Amino acid sequence: MDKKKITVIICCAGMGTRLGIGTTKALVNINGKPLILHQLELLDQYDDIRIVLGYQAERVISVVTKYRNDIMFAFNYDYKNTGAAASLSKALPGAREYVVSMDGDLVVHPQNFKEFLDYNGECIAVSDCNSDEPVHIDVENSKVVRFSKNGKYEWPGLVKIQSGRLTPHSGHTYEMLNTVLPIDVLHVQTRDIDTPDDYDRAVAWVEAGYERTGGKNE
Amino acid sequence: MSEYIFLFDLDSTISKKEILPTISMRIGKLEKMRELTEATMRGEIPFRTSFLNRVKILTPVNVSEVNALVAEIPLNEAISQFIRENRERCYVLTGNLDVWISGLMRKIGMDQHVYCSKAEVREDRITQVISVVDKELMAKQFVQPLVVIGDGDNDSGMAKYADIAIGFGGVRNIAPSLLRNIDYAFYDDIRCAEFLKSLL
Ligand SMILES: [Mg+2]
Repeated sequence: MDKKKITVIICCAGMGTRLGIGTTKALVNINGKPLILHQLELLDQYDDIRIVLGYQAERVISVVTKYRNDIMFAFNYDYKNTGAAASLSKALPGAREYVVSMDGDLVVHPQNFKEFLDYNGECIAVSDCNSDEPVHIDVENSKVVRFSKNGKYEWPGLVKIQSGRLTPHSGHTYEMLNTVLPIDVLHVQTRDIDTPDDYDRAVAWVEAGYERTGGKNE
Repeated sequence: MSEYIFLFDLDSTISKKEILPTISMRIGKLEKMRELTEATMRGEIPFRTSFLNRVKILTPVNVSEVNALVAEIPLNEAISQFIRENRERCYVLTGNLDVWISGLMRKIGMDQHVYCSKAEVREDRITQVISVVDKELMAKQFVQPLVVIGDGDNDSGMAKYADIAIGFGGVRNIAPSLLRNIDYAFYDDIRCAEFLKSLL
Protein backbone atom coordinates (compact mmCIF):
# COMPACT_ATOMS: atom_id res chain seq x y z
CA MET A 1 0.00 0.00 0.00
CA ASP A 2 1.18 3.53 -0.84
CA LYS A 3 2.71 4.92 2.36
CA LYS A 4 1.64 8.44 1.35
CA LYS A 5 -1.98 7.38 1.75
CA ILE A 6 -1.50 6.54 5.41
CA THR A 7 -1.76 8.55 8.63
CA VAL A 8 -0.43 6.66 11.66
CA ILE A 9 -1.93 7.56 15.03
CA ILE A 10 -0.28 6.30 18.22
CA CYS A 11 -2.45 6.76 21.30
CA CYS A 12 -0.39 7.31 24.45
CA ALA A 13 -2.64 9.70 26.40
CA GLY A 14 -3.65 7.56 29.35
CA MET A 15 -0.74 5.17 29.34
CA GLY A 16 -0.04 5.01 33.04
CA THR A 17 1.23 1.70 34.28
CA ARG A 18 0.66 -0.94 36.91
CA LEU A 19 4.34 -1.75 36.59
CA GLY A 20 5.14 0.35 39.62
CA ILE A 21 7.69 2.56 37.87
CA GLY A 22 5.78 5.84 37.63
CA THR A 23 6.32 6.30 33.93
CA THR A 24 4.01 6.24 30.96
CA LYS A 25 4.13 2.95 29.08
CA ALA A 26 5.36 4.77 25.98
CA LEU A 27 8.63 5.38 27.83
CA VAL A 28 9.06 1.96 29.40
CA ASN A 29 12.52 0.68 28.64
CA ILE A 30 12.55 -2.36 26.37
CA ASN A 31 16.06 -3.62 25.73
CA GLY A 32 17.75 -0.28 26.22
CA LYS A 33 15.19 1.87 24.41
CA PRO A 34 11.83 3.46 25.25
CA LEU A 35 8.93 1.52 23.74
CA ILE A 36 7.81 4.52 21.66
CA LEU A 37 11.16 4.52 19.82
CA HIS A 38 10.80 0.81 19.03
CA GLN A 39 7.47 1.71 17.44
CA LEU A 40 8.84 4.72 15.55
CA GLU A 41 11.71 2.66 14.13
CA LEU A 42 9.12 0.41 12.51
CA LEU A 43 7.52 3.53 11.03
CA ASP A 44 10.65 5.11 9.56
CA GLN A 45 9.17 5.20 6.07
CA TYR A 46 5.93 6.92 7.10
CA ASP A 47 5.73 10.70 7.11
CA ASP A 48 2.35 11.45 8.69
CA ILE A 49 2.72 10.19 12.24
CA ARG A 50 0.59 11.60 15.05
CA ILE A 51 1.08 10.84 18.72
CA VAL A 52 -1.73 11.56 21.17
CA LEU A 53 -0.47 12.55 24.60
CA GLY A 54 -1.83 13.40 28.02
CA TYR A 55 -0.06 11.78 30.95
CA GLN A 56 3.63 12.88 31.02
CA ALA A 57 3.26 14.63 27.67
CA GLU A 58 6.42 16.71 28.00
CA ARG A 59 8.60 13.70 28.75
CA VAL A 60 7.33 11.81 25.72
CA ILE A 61 7.79 14.86 23.46
CA SER A 62 11.36 15.33 24.57
CA VAL A 63 12.24 11.67 23.89
CA VAL A 64 10.44 11.56 20.53
CA THR A 65 11.71 14.87 19.10
CA LYS A 66 15.31 13.77 19.71
CA TYR A 67 14.60 10.84 17.40
CA ARG A 68 12.60 12.72 14.77
CA ASN A 69 10.89 16.10 14.89
CA ASP A 70 8.37 15.80 12.05
CA ILE A 71 5.71 14.30 14.30
CA MET A 72 2.33 15.87 15.00
CA PHE A 73 1.45 15.76 18.68
CA ALA A 74 -2.20 15.90 19.71
CA PHE A 75 -3.32 16.39 23.31
CA ASN A 76 -6.06 14.73 25.28
CA TYR A 77 -5.57 16.03 28.82
CA ASP A 78 -9.01 14.74 29.69
CA TYR A 79 -7.81 11.15 29.34
CA LYS A 80 -9.07 10.16 32.80
CA ASN A 81 -12.67 10.87 31.82
CA THR A 82 -12.65 9.74 28.21
CA GLY A 83 -12.00 6.51 26.37
CA ALA A 84 -9.24 5.82 23.89
CA ALA A 85 -11.62 6.75 21.07
CA ALA A 86 -11.46 10.38 22.25
CA SER A 87 -7.69 10.33 21.79
CA LEU A 88 -7.97 8.79 18.34
CA SER A 89 -10.69 11.31 17.38
CA LYS A 90 -8.49 14.20 18.48
CA ALA A 91 -5.82 13.22 15.96
CA LEU A 92 -8.17 12.71 12.99
CA PRO A 93 -8.47 16.25 11.50
CA GLY A 94 -6.79 16.40 8.12
CA ALA A 95 -5.92 12.68 8.16
CA ARG A 96 -5.05 10.94 4.88
CA GLU A 97 -7.16 8.31 3.11
CA TYR A 98 -6.22 5.53 5.55
CA VAL A 99 -5.68 5.77 9.29
CA VAL A 100 -3.58 3.24 11.18
CA SER A 101 -4.44 3.44 14.86
CA MET A 102 -2.28 1.75 17.48
CA ASP A 103 -1.80 1.87 21.25
CA GLY A 104 1.31 3.30 22.83
CA ASP A 105 1.89 0.08 24.76
CA LEU A 106 1.89 -2.25 21.76
CA VAL A 107 4.88 -4.60 21.58
CA VAL A 108 4.54 -6.20 18.17
CA HIS A 109 6.46 -8.61 15.97
CA PRO A 110 8.20 -6.33 13.41
CA GLN A 111 7.53 -8.60 10.43
CA ASN A 112 3.85 -8.99 11.35
CA PHE A 113 3.57 -5.25 11.78
CA LYS A 114 5.08 -4.64 8.36
CA GLU A 115 2.62 -7.07 6.79
CA PHE A 116 -0.19 -5.25 8.53
CA LEU A 117 0.96 -1.84 7.27
CA ASP A 118 1.47 -3.15 3.73
CA TYR A 119 -1.87 -4.97 3.63
CA ASN A 120 -3.84 -3.65 0.71
CA GLY A 121 -6.92 -2.09 2.27
CA GLU A 122 -8.64 -2.01 5.62
CA CYS A 123 -7.74 -4.61 8.22
CA ILE A 124 -7.91 -5.36 11.93
CA ALA A 125 -5.09 -7.13 13.75
CA VAL A 126 -5.86 -10.04 16.04
CA SER A 127 -3.56 -11.90 18.38
CA ASP A 128 -3.72 -14.91 20.66
CA CYS A 129 -5.27 -14.12 24.00
CA ASN A 130 -2.65 -13.04 26.52
CA SER A 131 -3.94 -10.05 28.47
CA ASP A 132 -5.84 -9.68 31.73
CA GLU A 133 -8.77 -7.70 30.41
CA PRO A 134 -8.82 -8.36 26.70
CA VAL A 135 -11.22 -7.08 24.08
CA HIS A 136 -12.15 -10.27 22.20
CA ILE A 137 -12.88 -10.61 18.55
CA ASP A 138 -15.18 -12.92 16.61
CA VAL A 139 -13.87 -13.92 13.21
CA GLU A 140 -15.95 -15.41 10.39
CA ASN A 141 -14.59 -16.15 6.90
CA SER A 142 -11.34 -14.24 7.58
CA LYS A 143 -13.24 -11.14 8.61
CA VAL A 144 -13.72 -9.51 11.95
CA VAL A 145 -17.49 -9.56 12.45
CA ARG A 146 -17.80 -8.26 16.00
CA PHE A 147 -16.01 -7.29 19.16
CA SER A 148 -17.14 -9.52 21.99
CA LYS A 149 -16.49 -10.75 25.52
CA ASN A 150 -15.39 -14.27 24.66
CA GLY A 151 -14.28 -14.52 21.05
CA LYS A 152 -11.41 -16.77 20.11
CA TYR A 153 -8.93 -13.96 19.53
CA GLU A 154 -7.86 -10.81 21.28
CA TRP A 155 -7.72 -7.33 19.80
CA PRO A 156 -4.33 -5.71 20.40
CA GLY A 157 -5.74 -2.27 19.54
CA LEU A 158 -4.32 -2.22 16.04
CA VAL A 159 -6.50 -1.27 13.07
CA LYS A 160 -6.21 0.21 9.58
CA ILE A 161 -9.31 1.91 8.27
CA GLN A 162 -10.42 4.58 5.79
CA SER A 163 -10.49 7.86 7.66
CA GLY A 164 -13.76 8.85 5.99
CA ARG A 165 -15.50 5.93 7.70
CA LEU A 166 -14.60 7.06 11.22
CA THR A 167 -16.92 9.26 13.26
CA PRO A 168 -15.47 11.03 16.31
CA HIS A 169 -16.37 9.19 19.51
CA SER A 170 -15.52 9.53 23.18
CA GLY A 171 -15.91 5.95 24.41
CA HIS A 172 -13.94 2.82 23.58
CA THR A 173 -12.25 2.52 20.23
CA TYR A 174 -14.03 -0.78 19.53
CA GLU A 175 -17.35 1.03 19.91
CA MET A 176 -16.19 3.45 17.26
CA LEU A 177 -15.30 0.54 14.98
CA ASN A 178 -18.39 -1.58 15.61
CA THR A 179 -20.37 0.32 13.00
CA VAL A 180 -17.90 -0.32 10.19
CA LEU A 181 -17.48 -4.11 10.50
CA PRO A 182 -16.86 -6.57 8.87
CA ILE A 183 -13.21 -5.88 8.12
CA ASP A 184 -10.44 -8.24 6.96
CA VAL A 185 -8.48 -9.93 9.72
CA LEU A 186 -4.70 -10.21 10.03
CA HIS A 187 -2.95 -12.29 12.66
CA VAL A 188 -0.08 -10.60 14.50
CA GLN A 189 2.06 -11.63 17.44
CA THR A 190 2.03 -9.11 20.27
CA ARG A 191 2.93 -8.94 23.95
CA ASP A 192 1.23 -7.05 26.74
CA ILE A 193 3.09 -5.12 29.40
CA ASP A 194 0.46 -4.64 32.07
CA THR A 195 2.23 -6.27 35.01
CA PRO A 196 5.89 -6.78 36.03
CA ASP A 197 5.60 -10.43 34.87
CA ASP A 198 4.28 -9.29 31.49
CA TYR A 199 7.17 -6.89 31.24
CA ASP A 200 9.78 -9.59 31.86
CA ARG A 201 8.17 -11.84 29.26
CA ALA A 202 7.96 -9.03 26.69
CA VAL A 203 11.61 -8.12 27.20
CA ALA A 204 12.66 -11.78 26.85
CA TRP A 205 10.60 -12.03 23.67
CA VAL A 206 12.20 -8.96 22.09
CA GLU A 207 15.65 -10.08 23.23
CA ALA A 208 15.14 -13.48 21.59
CA GLY A 209 14.44 -11.74 18.28
CA TYR A 210 10.65 -12.15 18.65
CA GLU A 211 10.94 -15.92 18.74
CA ARG A 212 7.94 -17.71 20.16
CA THR A 213 8.96 -17.66 23.79
CA GLY A 214 7.41 -15.97 26.76
CA GLY A 215 3.73 -15.78 25.84
CA LYS A 216 1.44 -16.07 28.85
CA ASN A 217 -0.38 -19.01 27.32
CA GLU A 218 2.60 -20.94 26.03
CA MET B 1 -13.73 25.11 2.82
CA SER B 2 -13.61 26.06 6.50
CA GLU B 3 -14.21 29.52 7.96
CA TYR B 4 -11.11 29.53 10.13
CA ILE B 5 -9.09 32.68 10.58
CA PHE B 6 -5.43 31.94 11.32
CA LEU B 7 -3.80 34.01 14.04
CA PHE B 8 0.00 33.87 14.25
CA ASP B 9 2.44 34.87 16.92
CA LEU B 10 5.53 36.48 15.33
CA ASP B 11 8.68 35.74 17.36
CA SER B 12 9.90 32.13 17.06
CA THR B 13 6.68 31.15 15.29
CA ILE B 14 7.03 33.05 12.01
CA SER B 15 10.61 34.12 12.67
CA LYS B 16 13.43 31.63 13.18
CA LYS B 17 14.84 33.74 16.01
CA GLU B 18 13.59 35.99 18.79
CA ILE B 19 13.59 39.38 17.10
CA LEU B 20 14.60 41.81 19.86
CA PRO B 21 17.53 39.71 21.17
CA THR B 22 18.80 39.34 17.60
CA ILE B 23 18.74 43.12 17.12
CA SER B 24 20.42 43.69 20.50
CA MET B 25 23.23 41.38 19.51
CA ARG B 26 23.93 43.59 16.50
CA ILE B 27 24.32 46.60 18.76
CA GLY B 28 26.16 44.81 21.57
CA LYS B 29 23.38 44.78 24.15
CA LEU B 30 22.48 41.13 24.04
CA GLU B 31 23.00 40.14 27.68
CA LYS B 32 20.50 42.50 29.23
CA MET B 33 17.98 41.82 26.50
CA ARG B 34 18.33 38.08 26.78
CA GLU B 35 17.76 38.03 30.53
CA LEU B 36 14.54 40.00 30.14
CA THR B 37 13.32 37.99 27.17
CA GLU B 38 13.94 34.61 28.81
CA ALA B 39 12.28 35.63 32.07
CA THR B 40 9.27 36.92 30.13
CA MET B 41 8.91 33.76 28.16
CA ARG B 42 9.00 31.72 31.33
CA GLY B 43 6.15 33.92 32.56
CA GLU B 44 8.17 35.47 35.43
CA ILE B 45 7.74 39.12 34.41
CA PRO B 46 4.47 40.47 33.03
CA PHE B 47 4.75 41.03 29.33
CA ARG B 48 3.99 44.76 29.45
CA THR B 49 6.65 45.63 32.04
CA SER B 50 9.25 43.53 30.33
CA PHE B 51 8.41 44.87 26.90
CA LEU B 52 8.72 48.51 27.97
CA ASN B 53 12.12 47.74 29.50
CA ARG B 54 13.25 45.95 26.38
CA VAL B 55 12.19 48.88 24.20
CA LYS B 56 14.36 51.15 26.36
CA ILE B 57 17.41 49.04 25.54
CA LEU B 58 16.89 49.63 21.82
CA THR B 59 15.78 53.27 22.05
CA PRO B 60 19.25 54.70 21.27
CA VAL B 61 19.16 53.02 17.84
CA ASN B 62 17.56 54.66 14.80
CA VAL B 63 14.12 53.23 14.10
CA SER B 64 14.87 52.85 10.40
CA GLU B 65 17.95 50.81 11.25
CA VAL B 66 16.00 48.44 13.53
CA ASN B 67 13.25 48.17 10.93
CA ALA B 68 15.76 47.15 8.24
CA LEU B 69 17.41 44.58 10.53
CA VAL B 70 14.03 43.06 11.49
CA ALA B 71 13.06 42.73 7.83
CA GLU B 72 16.14 40.54 7.31
CA ILE B 73 15.49 38.12 10.19
CA PRO B 74 15.37 34.53 8.90
CA LEU B 75 11.86 33.04 8.78
CA ASN B 76 10.31 29.60 9.08
CA GLU B 77 9.85 29.21 5.36
CA ALA B 78 6.88 26.84 5.18
CA ILE B 79 4.87 28.81 7.74
CA SER B 80 5.68 32.14 6.04
CA GLN B 81 4.70 30.70 2.70
CA PHE B 82 1.37 29.52 4.11
CA ILE B 83 0.78 33.10 5.28
CA ARG B 84 1.71 34.61 1.90
CA GLU B 85 -0.54 32.17 0.05
CA ASN B 86 -3.51 32.70 2.37
CA ARG B 87 -3.02 36.31 3.35
CA GLU B 88 -6.71 37.19 3.44
CA ARG B 89 -7.29 34.60 6.20
CA CYS B 90 -4.13 35.18 8.21
CA TYR B 91 -3.34 37.76 10.91
CA VAL B 92 -0.24 38.44 12.97
CA LEU B 93 -0.65 39.19 16.66
CA THR B 94 2.55 40.39 18.32
CA GLY B 95 3.70 42.57 21.18
CA ASN B 96 6.39 44.00 18.94
CA LEU B 97 6.25 47.65 17.79
CA ASP B 98 4.62 48.78 14.57
CA VAL B 99 7.54 51.03 13.70
CA TRP B 100 10.02 48.16 13.99
CA ILE B 101 8.16 45.37 12.18
CA SER B 102 6.46 47.21 9.31
CA GLY B 103 9.13 46.15 6.80
CA LEU B 104 8.89 42.50 7.80
CA MET B 105 5.09 42.59 7.69
CA ARG B 106 5.18 44.01 4.16
CA LYS B 107 7.56 41.22 3.18
CA ILE B 108 5.09 38.49 4.18
CA GLY B 109 2.02 40.40 2.98
CA MET B 110 0.71 41.11 6.47
CA ASP B 111 1.07 44.91 6.55
CA GLN B 112 -2.72 45.33 6.68
CA HIS B 113 -3.18 42.23 8.84
CA VAL B 114 -1.19 42.88 11.98
CA TYR B 115 -2.17 43.73 15.55
CA CYS B 116 0.82 45.06 17.47
CA SER B 117 2.08 47.58 20.00
CA LYS B 118 2.53 51.18 18.87
CA ALA B 119 5.15 53.87 19.41
CA GLU B 120 5.64 57.51 18.54
CA VAL B 121 8.72 58.39 16.50
CA ARG B 122 10.50 61.73 16.04
CA GLU B 123 13.64 62.18 13.98
CA ASP B 124 14.01 58.43 13.59
CA ARG B 125 14.00 57.79 17.36
CA ILE B 126 11.27 56.39 19.59
CA THR B 127 9.98 59.13 21.89
CA GLN B 128 7.36 57.04 23.68
CA VAL B 129 5.42 53.79 23.55
CA ILE B 130 1.74 54.52 22.99
CA SER B 131 0.18 51.09 23.54
CA VAL B 132 1.25 47.53 24.35
CA VAL B 133 -0.95 44.92 22.78
CA ASP B 134 -2.76 42.39 24.99
CA LYS B 135 -2.91 39.27 22.84
CA GLU B 136 -5.66 37.65 24.86
CA LEU B 137 -7.93 40.70 24.53
CA MET B 138 -7.22 40.98 20.82
CA ALA B 139 -7.98 37.30 20.18
CA LYS B 140 -11.22 37.64 22.12
CA GLN B 141 -12.44 40.29 19.65
CA PHE B 142 -12.43 37.97 16.65
CA VAL B 143 -15.92 36.77 15.74
CA GLN B 144 -14.86 34.08 13.25
CA PRO B 145 -13.64 30.63 14.35
CA LEU B 146 -9.94 30.84 15.15
CA VAL B 147 -6.84 28.75 14.65
CA VAL B 148 -4.07 30.17 16.84
CA ILE B 149 -0.36 29.36 16.45
CA GLY B 150 2.26 30.39 18.98
CA ASP B 151 5.12 29.29 21.21
CA GLY B 152 5.37 31.53 24.28
CA ASP B 153 3.79 32.07 27.65
CA ASN B 154 1.98 35.16 26.38
CA ASP B 155 0.30 33.09 23.66
CA SER B 156 -1.64 31.09 26.27
CA GLY B 157 -4.23 33.87 26.52
CA MET B 158 -5.05 33.81 22.82
CA ALA B 159 -4.99 30.00 22.82
CA LYS B 160 -7.95 30.13 25.22
CA TYR B 161 -10.11 31.75 22.55
CA ALA B 162 -9.00 29.44 19.78
CA ASP B 163 -11.15 26.74 18.29
CA ILE B 164 -7.89 25.02 17.44
CA ALA B 165 -4.76 26.01 19.38
CA ILE B 166 -1.39 24.98 17.99
CA GLY B 167 2.02 25.17 19.64
CA PHE B 168 5.07 25.56 17.45
CA GLY B 169 8.28 24.31 19.07
CA GLY B 170 10.53 24.33 16.02
CA VAL B 171 12.60 27.29 17.23
CA ARG B 172 12.40 27.03 21.00
CA ASN B 173 10.53 24.78 23.38
CA ILE B 174 6.85 25.54 23.71
CA ALA B 175 6.24 27.36 27.02
CA PRO B 176 4.86 24.89 29.61
CA SER B 177 1.84 27.12 30.29
CA LEU B 178 0.99 27.09 26.58
CA LEU B 179 1.57 23.34 26.20
CA ARG B 180 -1.25 22.79 28.71
CA ASN B 181 -3.64 24.88 26.59
CA ILE B 182 -3.13 23.58 23.07
CA ASP B 183 -4.69 20.91 20.91
CA TYR B 184 -1.66 20.17 18.74
CA ALA B 185 2.09 20.70 18.79
CA PHE B 186 4.60 20.72 15.97
CA TYR B 187 8.38 20.83 16.02
CA ASP B 188 8.86 20.95 12.27
CA ASP B 189 7.97 23.95 10.11
CA ILE B 190 6.90 21.89 7.08
CA ARG B 191 4.66 19.50 9.02
CA CYS B 192 3.05 22.45 10.77
CA ALA B 193 2.29 24.18 7.46
CA GLU B 194 0.90 20.92 6.00
CA PHE B 195 -1.52 20.67 8.88
CA LEU B 196 -2.56 24.31 8.53
CA LYS B 197 -3.33 23.65 4.86
CA SER B 198 -5.57 20.75 5.84
CA LEU B 199 -7.59 23.20 7.95
CA LEU B 200 -8.26 25.66 5.12
MG1 LIG C 1 6.80 33.79 20.19
